[in-house]
Amino acid sequence: MLTEIGDKGQLKLSKAKVLIVGAGGLGAAILPYLAGAGVGEIGIVDHDCIEISNLHRQVIYKSSALGKYKAEEAKSMISELNPSVKVNAITEKLSGKNAITLFEKYTIIVDATDNISIKYLINDACLVTNKPMVYGSVFRFQGQVSVFNYQNGPTYRCLYPDEKSTATNCEDAGVIGTSVGIIGMLQANEVIKMIVETGTVLTGKIVVYNILNNEQQKYDFDKSDVLLMNKEIFDKKYGIEENQIEEVNFESVLDEINDVEVLFLDVRNEVEFPKINFKNGIQIPLMNLENEMEKLDKSQTIYVFCQSGIRSKIAAQLLQKHQFKNIKNIVGGAFAMKQLLQEKFTI
Amino acid sequence: MIEIKYFGAVAEKTKCEFEKIPFSEVSLQELLQDLDEKYQFESLSFSVAINQKIVPKATQYILQTTDIVALLPPFAGG
Repeated sequence: MLTEIGDKGQLKLSKAKVLIVGAGGLGAAILPYLAGAGVGEIGIVDHDCIEISNLHRQVIYKSSALGKYKAEEAKSMISELNPSVKVNAITEKLSGKNAITLFEKYTIIVDATDNISIKYLINDACLVTNKPMVYGSVFRFQGQVSVFNYQNGPTYRCLYPDEKSTATNCEDAGVIGTSVGIIGMLQANEVIKMIVETGTVLTGKIVVYNILNNEQQKYDFDKSDVLLMNKEIFDKKYGIEENQIEEVNFESVLDEINDVEVLFLDVRNEVEFPKINFKNGIQIPLMNLENEMEKLDKSQTIYVFCQSGIRSKIAAQLLQKHQFKNIKNIVGGAFAMKQLLQEKFTI
Repeated sequence: MIEIKYFGAVAEKTKCEFEKIPFSEVSLQELLQDLDEKYQFESLSFSVAINQKIVPKATQYILQTTDIVALLPPFAGG
């Protein structure tokens, strides 16, 4: 046993709750070591499924698991490795809507994503919830590691204030498995150091590692005093109005009847009257909606209606929770629609 | 000589990981402008470090003969 860690350190590990955002190359390197170290609770957020092009660097997945959710496969790997770890597999995409609630349940947030805009989101949600963010990312044969917002230290925005920047991910840029492995391992190492309170946490510094020549550079950076982030700014920035479903009057969308760009979703049961049939309409009773969601396109504008507008509101909230972007509830439901249609089209 | 190090996508543009340029009394901003003209960084975003310390790009700083400047873009792979 390491004297620097000891029983006390092990106890701290068992009480720690770490959320890993991204179960790709970095996540696949980080996860086994945190589980092996005995971190008490590990959350894994990833909405992707395993593809064959992932396997060379996401080495915790088997070729027999192609097509399965990464978060769920990672969970079963951890449970086999260390059954005492509580694992939560979250197969949702991290967004402004779920980030704060999710982060609040953990003590450390690990950024193992491959997307710059998600890194800003993680950073901002860490600021709102006051959690440290263990950052890692890779570009071809180089990687970066840092710890942001640790004990009120500098953040991702202090290092990279220009949010509009673009950078390519591993699938596009290409990457060798060992580079994400090395960077992920450095991230796992920072997590463990932070939990057991040993060594110096990589705050206010970024390590840049080049695997081709083994050169490692460390750069210092300061906390910027012009950045401000709180729940209100966060909600505004990420366009969140809690459980707000946009309501529309049927009259305002009459032009869109039979327009294939949009969809009218009837969540009533088949036996209910009046019948409303549009070419761009579909009927999925509310009770079946959760199971039949794959019939719907998440990016399409969907007008939801029921008999009077109550079930459709529940349906709209359910859809919004599942990352449907453009859901609107028709006020007054089928009754109001039928009445208006008769007024407009009956001579 | 002033040494300049390039990382990530910036190094792809410059096609080298470092270069040394003869010392002349230029400000950091002037140096960055010269490099941008030479390499056309365009939409590429990066932070700048002088002697291992990230500084705002608009810093009024006259480069010294032994300075090492680094251009560090964010990476996104994982």
